[in-house]
Amino acid sequence: MSDTHHHPTGAHSDTIHLPSPTAWPIILAFGVTMLFGGMVTNGSISILGGVLCLFAAVGWFRQVLPHEAHEDVPVQVEHIVIETKRTEVARLVVPEDNRAHLPVESYPVLSGLKGGVAGGIAMIPPALIYGLIAQHSIWYPVNLLGGAGVANWLNPSVADLAAFHWQGLIVASVIHVITCLLVGLLYGAMLPMLPRHPIVLGGVVAPVLWTGLLHSTMGVINPVLRSHIAWGWFLISQIVFGLVAGWVVAHQERINTGQSRPFLMRMGIEAPGLMHVDHHDERNSGDES
Amino acid sequence: MADQALPIRGTLDLTPAQSKRDGMLEILHDWITTVDHKKLGILYILYAILFLLVGGAEALFIRIQLAFPNNHFMSPQVYNRFFTMHGTTMVFLMGMPAIFGFANYLVPLMIGARDMAFPRLNAFSFWMTAFGGLFIYYSFLGGSGLYGVGNAPDVGWFAYAPLTARAFSPGNATDYWAVGLIASGFGTIGSGINIVATIFSMRCKGMTLMRMPLFVWLNLTVSALVLITITPLTAAQIMLCIDRYLGGHFFDTQAGGSAVVWMHFFWIFGHPEVYVLVLPAFAIANEIIPVFSRKAIFGYPAMVTASVGIAFISLSVWAHHMFTVGMTSASNAFFTLSTMLVGIPTGIKIFNWLATMWGGKIRFATPMLFMTAFLFQFLIAGLTGIMLSVSPWDWQLHNSYFVVAHFHYVLVGAILTAIFGGLYFWFPKVTGRMMDERLGKINFWLFLIGFHLTFDVMHIPGILGMPRSIYTYEANRGWGTLNLIVSIGAAIQGIAVLIFAYNMVISLFKGEKAGNDPWDAWTLEWACSSPPPSYNFATEPVVISRRPLWDLKHPEDPDWKYE
Repeated sequence: MSDTHHHPTGAHSDTIHLPSPTAWPIILAFGVTMLFGGMVTNGSISILGGVLCLFAAVGWFRQVLPHEAHEDVPVQVEHIVIETKRTEVARLVVPEDNRAHLPVESYPVLSGLKGGVAGGIAMIPPALIYGLIAQHSIWYPVNLLGGAGVANWLNPSVADLAAFHWQGLIVASVIHVITCLLVGLLYGAMLPMLPRHPIVLGGVVAPVLWTGLLHSTMGVINPVLRSHIAWGWFLISQIVFGLVAGWVVAHQERINTGQSRPFLMRMGIEAPGLMHVDHHDERNSGDES
Repeated sequence: MADQALPIRGTLDLTPAQSKRDGMLEILHDWITTVDHKKLGILYILYAILFLLVGGAEALFIRIQLAFPNNHFMSPQVYNRFFTMHGTTMVFLMGMPAIFGFANYLVPLMIGARDMAFPRLNAFSFWMTAFGGLFIYYSFLGGSGLYGVGNAPDVGWFAYAPLTARAFSPGNATDYWAVGLIASGFGTIGSGINIVATIFSMRCKGMTLMRMPLFVWLNLTVSALVLITITPLTAAQIMLCIDRYLGGHFFDTQAGGSAVVWMHFFWIFGHPEVYVLVLPAFAIANEIIPVFSRKAIFGYPAMVTASVGIAFISLSVWAHHMFTVGMTSASNAFFTLSTMLVGIPTGIKIFNWLATMWGGKIRFATPMLFMTAFLFQFLIAGLTGIMLSVSPWDWQLHNSYFVVAHFHYVLVGAILTAIFGGLYFWFPKVTGRMMDERLGKINFWLFLIGFHLTFDVMHIPGILGMPRSIYTYEANRGWGTLNLIVSIGAAIQGIAVLIFAYNMVISLFKGEKAGNDPWDAWTLEWACSSPPPSYNFATEPVVISRRPLWDLKHPEDPDWKYE
């Protein structure tokens, strides 16, 4: 048993027990490899490998049973100072007006759906007006949208697009409804996070960017469809959607998202010490008093 | 100055008296009988570097062959052996040993332990890995077998059936591949068990799971993943041996077997294997980026969650390697979506590394240069991965050089780059000497230029239709100039790797003395002397935060107040 020494930074003994070095692991590994190696060379190699494995296993067991073999490594004290030349600590100060804006308040999901429905209805007239003026048919824009989803409708002529097709109408309606609802939901989630002028950003800037993205990629995705689209009118209908959907969403009542509450409260866990009164509740209680 | 009332008592290094060495034989005896995790870690790393040079040389021969159209620098048979051995070497004999080398050396030091949980198993695991690799390479001499044909394995690193059947692969070449990987797989499983057991049972006082360095968290995740993924590979290889030796028909389509079953078995291993290799690269980044940004890692809990999340998701993406097999639409959709899902936790990590660097006092020493390159290159690798996860896109580019460029972006641009960074970072701890910074920077910039010249350009012949594993090509394909540029880039990378090897050797003998903490870092390994004594810590350390050395260096503003 070694003596224990006390040092200002802790107690240590003269020696430390560590597992003894041993050759048995390498011999066992070599034996196992030879055991396998016999498969591709000669059976005698496998037999030799098996013998090595046996010897190595016995040797290994004798190393650890009944007591693990160890060696005592002497300890020599060398004091190491843990220090740094960088003595100054700067804490990053995040200014109040520069921090990430969490949506402390947001719109309910239903407001996004309402915005999507309103925007979807509002963008129909400009699209139909375009059809009437440019192609003398309200079905032209409908078929353009619907044709994108009809797999067997390849390279339609202008006359085809101007005619009524019930398949095109159904597909266009499905695409239009789903897209408007999803984009409406996106507006509901996004508008509270925009720093300023949410209706301008959501109603004008976002449609312009979206139209630009489509304009630049449609040539790769579907060049025929791209050649039939009047991008000016497309942009107008997108802006109408954005303005109407944004206006509807922005005029809904906001609800508290609970982002400022502790995580456990948002998880619905009830426990002592988690009482929290948010500003909304405070306002309400103030009104009541 | 350290406040000695603070809790890391083990920081006093208690170096043992150096015993005089009696020549080479005793040194050799020391190394082959060692059970010390640090020596085994060094052996793993040296083994990995050796095979990096071997696999790199094979890559250069491949690139010479492809540099010009209609080239016959080597025969088609030798070419097939070289690309098979290059892939096998870099994944199994370089990548895996390198990550286990880092884990072996650093995990016990970082958690304040004296060794791994099973030191003898640790030695056995290394030697199994080593002998498995050497056995595969012995095939260059003994692969002709009883049939007098064959040589080294030539069936590609994923060895698809029916190429591996006796009819198409006579001789013993494929057997060497299967048996060698079974043997090294045993070593891998042993290491995985050891690392998991060590982390769960040997952490020092105060080191709760959520105070472990992220390096340790990542290695815990990787080791658990290894235990799950190596087993199907080993099972498949045993099934292949049964097919080849005992007349089994697991993968014989003409006798009721299925070649696709091999694909499933292989990729159930193969895709998580990518994460087995890349998560340790993340582990290295998690340690280097904060130290050289002089900030604590941003979003530690999110990083832990993302790492474990990646491991889970990685188990459900394997069939994106098989879109062209002809799976059902539902399968294609599932594996497309699950593959895209990996982008979420991976994106969290990239944002957190950037947030760690943001506002920090960044020092672009060589390790940090490699980490910065790693960040951007891994981002691009991830983006092309998302592109390939889309099944229609994959149908167009499957088995093309676009795919080769993508996975080399992961393996070289992310993993090897991070490993270089890690070697520069921890070399002073292992040897007590700094690596030469000037040579390090030359190494970095040459490697960076060579890498981008090679793998950026390599995407283009892939998009133009050049298939992978092709022996040569006609001049009128328009791939010639691109391939020449790719080969020049590979040569530049080769020079960079040689400079790295030279730097290691020269710095080992003539490098500047490092001291115990040359980078002013915060985890426990920097509290030991360099190199650490065989027992690591004379007294068990006690930690109370994620950055114990920060607490000692800044007693007026310790981390534990904020965690």
